[in-house]
Amino acid sequence: MNTLGIILKQTLEARNIKCLLRKNNSGEDYVCIELDSFDETMLLIKNQQLLRLTAMWAAEDFEDHCGFTLFYVFENYNVPELLALEVRLKDKRAPSIALDFPVACYFEREIKDGFGIEFEGAFDTRRLFLHEVYPDSFHPLLKSFKNQALDLNHEEPKGTEYIFKEVAGEGIYQIPVGPVHAGIIEPGHFRFGAIGETIFNMEIRHFYKHRGLEKLAENRNPADCVVIAESISGDESVANATAYAMTIEKINECIIPARAWQLRTVLLEMERIYSHLGDMAGMQVDVAYPVGASMLFILREEILRYNALMTGSRFSKGIITPGGLQRDIGTEKLKDFKVYLSDFKSRFEEALKTACDSSWVIDRFDTTGIVKQELVSPLNLSGPIARASGATIDTRRSHPYGIYNKVKLSLPSKIEGDVLARFMIKAAEIKNSADIINGIIDDLYEGPFLSQCSNDDGYSLTVVEAPRGQNLHWVYVKNGVIDRYKVRTASFCNWFAIEHAVIGNIVPDFPVINKSMNLSYAGNDL
Amino acid sequence: MNWNMILYTVLNTTFVFLFAPLIVSLIKKVKAMCQGRRGTPLLQTYFQLFKLFKKEIVYSDNSSFIMRISPYLNIAFLLVASIFIPIVFIPAQESGFGNIILFLYLMVCARFFMALSGLDAGSTFGNMGSSREMTIASIIEPTTLMACAALAFILKTTDIPEMFGTVLSGSILQYPTLFLVASSLFIILIVETARVPVDNPETHLELTMVHEAMILEQSGPKLALMELSYGIKQLILMAFLINILFPWGMATDTTLSGILISVASFIIKALLLAVAMGVFESFFAKIRFFRLPDFFMIAFFLSFVTIVFELLS
Repeated sequence: MNTLGIILKQTLEARNIKCLLRKNNSGEDYVCIELDSFDETMLLIKNQQLLRLTAMWAAEDFEDHCGFTLFYVFENYNVPELLALEVRLKDKRAPSIALDFPVACYFEREIKDGFGIEFEGAFDTRRLFLHEVYPDSFHPLLKSFKNQALDLNHEEPKGTEYIFKEVAGEGIYQIPVGPVHAGIIEPGHFRFGAIGETIFNMEIRHFYKHRGLEKLAENRNPADCVVIAESISGDESVANATAYAMTIEKINECIIPARAWQLRTVLLEMERIYSHLGDMAGMQVDVAYPVGASMLFILREEILRYNALMTGSRFSKGIITPGGLQRDIGTEKLKDFKVYLSDFKSRFEEALKTACDSSWVIDRFDTTGIVKQELVSPLNLSGPIARASGATIDTRRSHPYGIYNKVKLSLPSKIEGDVLARFMIKAAEIKNSADIINGIIDDLYEGPFLSQCSNDDGYSLTVVEAPRGQNLHWVYVKNGVIDRYKVRTASFCNWFAIEHAVIGNIVPDFPVINKSMNLSYAGNDL
Repeated sequence: MNWNMILYTVLNTTFVFLFAPLIVSLIKKVKAMCQGRRGTPLLQTYFQLFKLFKKEIVYSDNSSFIMRISPYLNIAFLLVASIFIPIVFIPAQESGFGNIILFLYLMVCARFFMALSGLDAGSTFGNMGSSREMTIASIIEPTTLMACAALAFILKTTDIPEMFGTVLSGSILQYPTLFLVASSLFIILIVETARVPVDNPETHLELTMVHEAMILEQSGPKLALMELSYGIKQLILMAFLINILFPWGMATDTTLSGILISVASFIIKALLLAVAMGVFESFFAKIRFFRLPDFFMIAFFLSFVTIVFELLS
């Protein structure tokens, strides 16, 4: 069967465009194109309308190229494999594709901050993760930059100011919100432009807690970096640790024992359950219906306690490792959990009924914060947000990993795209996750849970479906240590959606829209 | 002013002052129990106020004297208004005292200064809170006036103590339409005390706040005064509702036993109403901001119907 890489190569060659198709150990296609034919290739891809840009990053001194290499990852949800386009730059300049692929805007700004690569023709050249305190010459992902404590000399000129879109007019005002909030929420700045209570423009500015995780992983042994993957976002730690472990396993062509994959899947689905429970409860808290919310909060707490019982950590940290699992989870414990799950399901139904029976709650959710379907591909939206907006996409189905091609996965889909649709999608996913776990526990393999993984050089790309959507990990191991680690969580792209979803809504509805999308601040800001 | 009146003022005000925080805690407790939580102790609001009174005050650099005086004015207006609602006993008549219109406008004055202090610091949330409060006020005030007019029609007086006295000396069955007005008074009580479904007193979401947003900039003892005046406002509105419908037990003369019975019976009735409010609140979610007039309309309609009935009969 022709893979995306072969198809692209054939198409390009038919037009006399030079390109090189490379397969890495794990069978991923990397199509290497020249900078001269870049525009033509991108136009071709754009006009085909079959591929969506899902991630973009840069690496310095990749393989035998001295300088910067840009990677563009495209995907089609009907094709299992991804397509990586590789462009080797001669200097620190590259053409921008943000006008053709809107989501690239964020990625290009990220690369510009990290490496100082200028994107020519970009419509938005503001900084992304670096705030004004950093001087203009500061680019932390360059190899020449040592990861150490920074002495931000106050004499040094500050970086360029971040300019928000200006709004003005009769009765129009701006509402700056955050980064410090009244509740215990992560830091983020929201700039609303409102006419009375109606929002007509909203811009977000985040990245107040950049931890430099990608840099932190560099020059470390791949086996030691699971903790870094787990720290990306606390409530996605299983998904990120699994994605990272899978990447390392693919580089080393390591085969994982069946039991390890079953247990990983149980943990992944438990993570989805507690994450969605928290969202659904939070959405009800935000419309002041704590009676419905507390029923879900109780269930969430119980799942977290089962996590602790099985893995020793409420967020299941420290169990996943390249090659399988650090420790086995006793079959007895899993059987106990299965017994609990049947009780869980009936109580969840009851809690769902409590919410749905309240016309006041439904009235608040219905038609609030609509994400239009036509935004899903250009903004690379994924997860429940995309599925609530008419896109039946899920990484577990389109790019199956582990044992996901064997489990009974039902993909709920709704077309309304509002808060209510996201609420119902999450409810359906919780039930499906519980069924998946039940199925696995019924059919549990006994045997080893860890296989030995070597430590070879290479690079590999992995996508997984975290509770919030698709997370992408790319690891490049050179000389036995990590040379570049790139993570793109679902939230990085999904944050775009909220800027569109709030338009036309009123300011007091913003919190519930925000909660319904459950965007991660930490997962966005590595 | 006679001794009777002075004694009444002192006792009534002291009672309102001391009892108001308990009701605030009790409603919170009931809500917590509806959610399956244990909730905070019943004395928590007292502890909270005590703590706040010991703290320092921080003012925004942009704030003016309005910010500084409004907590005093707010509580002063509400304490004066509280004298209009007899709880300990119904005092002998004094001219010009107890007028329902005056009572309403004392409450409005308190609200006016609270909204001003929200605007004063120039912060976003204070402004939003004040703007929303005024939007709500302009819709609920005609409704409140309508309800009071209905009361005046039924009981043939505009004097609040006299209203209580009339119901007390008669039977509630003589005034069946009182139940209609009481329903709208209950809605007004929910709106005026910024409760679900109009506002959420427990929210941490600054973008959704109304009442809480206005007092965000207040701190220390000034915040305590604001919290206390909120409790007082809630208590006197509850007392108004209770004593219009069920004034039994209230003393009309100044005997020690009479006062004790009236205080005790009021406490029981107030606790029951607080529980009812907590349960009521638990069954609702916050309504969409622009749908609030629909909710107020119910109160308006009930009062209007009452007046029509009274005119016809």
